[in-house]
Amino acid sequence: MEQWVVVTIIIALYLGLTLTIGLMAGRKQTDSVAGYVAADRSFGLLVMYFVTGASVFSAFAFLGGPGWAYSRGAAAFYILAYGALGMAPFYWIGPRIAALGRRHGYVTQAQLITGRFPSKTLSGLIALLSLIAFVPYVTIQMRGAGIVIEAVTDGHVPLWLGALVAYGIVITYVLSAGAMAVGWTNTFQGIFMVVIAWTLGLYLPYRLYGGIGEMFSQIAAARPDLLVPPGLDAAGDPWSWGAFTTFILVSAVGLMMWPHLFMKAFTAKDDDTLRRTVILFPTFQLFLIPVLLIGFSGVLFAGTPPSSDFILPFMILETDLPAIVVGLFCAGALSASMSTGDALLHASASVAVEDGVQQFVELSEAAQKRLMQGLVLLTGAIAYYYALDPDSSLVQLLASAYGIISQFAPPVVAALYWRRATTQGVMAGLIVGAATAFVFWQNPQWKPFDMHEGIIALIVHVPVLVAVSLATSAQSDEHVAAFVD
Amino acid sequence: MSLRTARALTGIYLLAALVAVTWPGLIPFARVEPMILGLPFALAWIAAWVAGTVIVLYLLDRVERRYRDAASGRAG
Repeated sequence: MEQWVVVTIIIALYLGLTLTIGLMAGRKQTDSVAGYVAADRSFGLLVMYFVTGASVFSAFAFLGGPGWAYSRGAAAFYILAYGALGMAPFYWIGPRIAALGRRHGYVTQAQLITGRFPSKTLSGLIALLSLIAFVPYVTIQMRGAGIVIEAVTDGHVPLWLGALVAYGIVITYVLSAGAMAVGWTNTFQGIFMVVIAWTLGLYLPYRLYGGIGEMFSQIAAARPDLLVPPGLDAAGDPWSWGAFTTFILVSAVGLMMWPHLFMKAFTAKDDDTLRRTVILFPTFQLFLIPVLLIGFSGVLFAGTPPSSDFILPFMILETDLPAIVVGLFCAGALSASMSTGDALLHASASVAVEDGVQQFVELSEAAQKRLMQGLVLLTGAIAYYYALDPDSSLVQLLASAYGIISQFAPPVVAALYWRRATTQGVMAGLIVGAATAFVFWQNPQWKPFDMHEGIIALIVHVPVLVAVSLATSAQSDEHVAAFVD
Repeated sequence: MSLRTARALTGIYLLAALVAVTWPGLIPFARVEPMILGLPFALAWIAAWVAGTVIVLYLLDRVERRYRDAASGRAG
């Protein structure tokens, strides 16, 4: 049998299994909005661990991570550095969010923020900013899935078809089963991609260089600048410490502010489950080490992939691996893409309905759920349209998405910890912060110390939030007491 | 250990980790040699801080749990 046929069969088996798990999971869920959005707050430790880990590790980690290591060297270390730092504060914040969710029936981030700072406009603004950040993110996941499938099947399954089939399946289980399907498929996909990453990450250095230490010694001898932080920029020139540091900062601040991750706090069964998920999360983070090893193993390898994002599929094909390994690798990459993509699609629809539409139009539970399902389809279609466009500069958009998302951190912290914060203050901070991020993203030459626009925006955002809050009248004590200890 | 001390120590560890993996804390460790388990020193250094986070959070949880149990014991 030809290699690409074997590979296609393995991919088909993997996709079939994912679909089955997704559809089965939904049968246990109640037919309510809390069921569809927050899985009836039922997730135990195993599912929470993988749903968090697998949602964070996207096609960017699986394809972009090796791409960065290969082309930018030590710059890729930033991907390893931020996750544990971003997650740790949720040991305390997570259970508080969950408690407020149970008490007031919240299922989204904006509901929590506008619970403390009542404003329909604020809710709509958060929904809008979330969607702006979501679409490029989903698009990248789809494109990643399509690229992998096209590469490993020798083009027999083109990008448009691969992305369509993979995401057709994602949309099917998200539509029918919501959060429960996302949870259980991510558990399956999470285990799968960890195993694949470690296997390939250890195997490729041994196969190509005779060992990990041997590989790095050879790279250090040939390219001494490559392995020393802060590494290289996209053009191959030395990267700046300002950019390296602020990429870590903005990613740490932004990580848990992504609505699809933040909302996971509402899906946990109890507070101990949340806390244990936070404690164990850095172990998932270490799975980026083999991912980086895969990328580094390509550095001295003869031949150049068409673009650095293709390094992983390119090497897999060039190293003459058995078809079954290629197929499994491909399924691992699809796991990474789909486990993030499903969470994103699900969250974007939930946010758009709960925090956008529902604020201005009264809808029944059944109508809300129908509208969410329609929006999953619509978001998927928009992302698919962009995923097929080879010229779309979406990596740029994704980097800027973190700039927007990180602006949700001050409102969340203010809602939970600062009594004197006011609705006007939070609103002013958010608008000024988002606008600042946008301006510096459009005009990178203005950035001081080459800083990430999200960090510059936070430096402007926080003083505005504080000043406007102090200048407006305080909230009543009884109202604040429900949110701040 | 009191809850306050445990939280303060955790906070200090997290701040130290942040400084250690960014400018300027990473500068003295931004080198390839000596390699640790075959990894360039800077990569192993960052990985060690990540792994350390698990241990620190686990220890914090033990203290927090003791205080929560005591509090719920009083309430019950």
